Amino acid sequence: MEEFIDKFNYVLVVILMMTGLWSMLAQNNLIKKCIGMAIFQTGIILFFISIGAKNNALIPILTETANHTYNDPNVNEVTNPLTQILMLTAIVVGVATLGVGLALAQKVHQQNDSFDEDEILNNQTK
Amino acid sequence: MAELPIWQYDTLFLILVLLFGITALAMQNLMAAAIVFGAYSFLMCLIWTTMGAVDVAFTEAAVGAGVSTVFIFATIYNTGVCAKPKNPRLAFKLFAGLICFVTGAFLLSALSDFPNWGDPYSPVNSTISPYYIENTIRDTHVPNIVTTVLADYRGFDTLLETAVVFIACIAIYSILRVDAAKSKVVEPDIVTSPPAYDPTDSLIIRQASRIMVPFMQIFALYVIAHGHYSPGGGFQGGVILGASIILLCISFDLKYVLRQWTEKKIMILTSLGVLIFATVGLACVIMGGEYLNYEVLDPILPGDKAYARSHAILLVEIGVGITVMFSMIGIYINLASNGRFDRGL
Repeated sequence: MEEFIDKFNYVLVVILMMTGLWSMLAQNNLIKKCIGMAIFQTGIILFFISIGAKNNALIPILTETANHTYNDPNVNEVTNPLTQILMLTAIVVGVATLGVGLALAQKVHQQNDSFDEDEILNNQTK
Repeated sequence: MAELPIWQYDTLFLILVLLFGITALAMQNLMAAAIVFGAYSFLMCLIWTTMGAVDVAFTEAAVGAGVSTVFIFATIYNTGVCAKPKNPRLAFKLFAGLICFVTGAFLLSALSDFPNWGDPYSPVNSTISPYYIENTIRDTHVPNIVTTVLADYRGFDTLLETAVVFIACIAIYSILRVDAAKSKVVEPDIVTSPPAYDPTDSLIIRQASRIMVPFMQIFALYVIAHGHYSPGGGFQGGVILGASIILLCISFDLKYVLRQWTEKKIMILTSLGVLIFATVGLACVIMGGEYLNYEVLDPILPGDKAYARSHAILLVEIGVGITVMFSMIGIYINLASNGRFDRGL
């Protein structure tokens, strides 16, 4: 139980990712699939950010404080910047891919007049 | 274990986030799902602020809660809001649920190998990252470590990520764009389904956004220019700039905006941003260094070697901002007008 509390963030990462994965697999609606993809992505981002978080640490912008100076920062008091940067660009690229996904869905809707996977498949086989 | 090693607020937010995510997927009405998804992103942004990831939170607030919700709206506007499945396929859903459950169980079985949440001595936090925390000021004089690593230490990756945004924009153009004048296909279903735009009905919204847009743009420019010293940078500022133009598209008319920002201008400016970024890298090669090694720009840019890096970061961020801004506008216009550039949300 203690381990569960210590590592609650990872538990939630897995649940979020699996929610997104389930949505991508099982939902009929194409927009719902796109939202599921975005939720899956936030799960991964949450994993990276929470693995780089430190207890009682400051944001990764250096300032003069009591414990560390501008030129010689105390490493344990500054949150890990590397994981944050990886995720920062991932978010922007994520919205671009979400846009591509929505554009594809819209094109499919133009031709089939539906977002529902079953109806689209029926139209294709007809 | 005297003190609780995790942040209580975070636990609360995380549970809320999960609820919002599940609600967004369970909603039948797509418009409502998009709104709940916006709220989900905003809660995520709060979580990242409490974990100290201010730049990521800023990006998420601008991108996740703002622009991506608008993109989903734009798609729904052209297609219709209801998502009622005709045949629910319960067996398949349960099977998919089982697959996800098993995958999740496998992932959770590795739980004990992970470091505790917030452990400053974990491998991630104690091997590579101290170098950047200790040397950023000496190398570049930039206090915001995230900006430095983004544009300097890791410049290649950011260049290619900017290129990915640019390519995604081109992909959307090639998927959706049709020339309305040349197109023989008449699509009456799209014209009739949404309520027609009435230019007289939203005086308050139009006037309010007319006042807001300049302030948004000034704030975005501040975010780009002050990214060295505060959360922000090219990505966030670019998205806010794009959002200001998208706000004009929504509150006025698409044509009103397209008079000023023609399609040609938008495309040229989208590629200009990547070009600026790549040119800065090329300038480094011409000056005798490696690609994107800003130190050798010292003779052209004011200040010593470290300040040369700092100034080159600003140039690069401007390039990123331009590309991201016009990509967002291009994607929005394509989605909202169904690729015909005549009318929109």
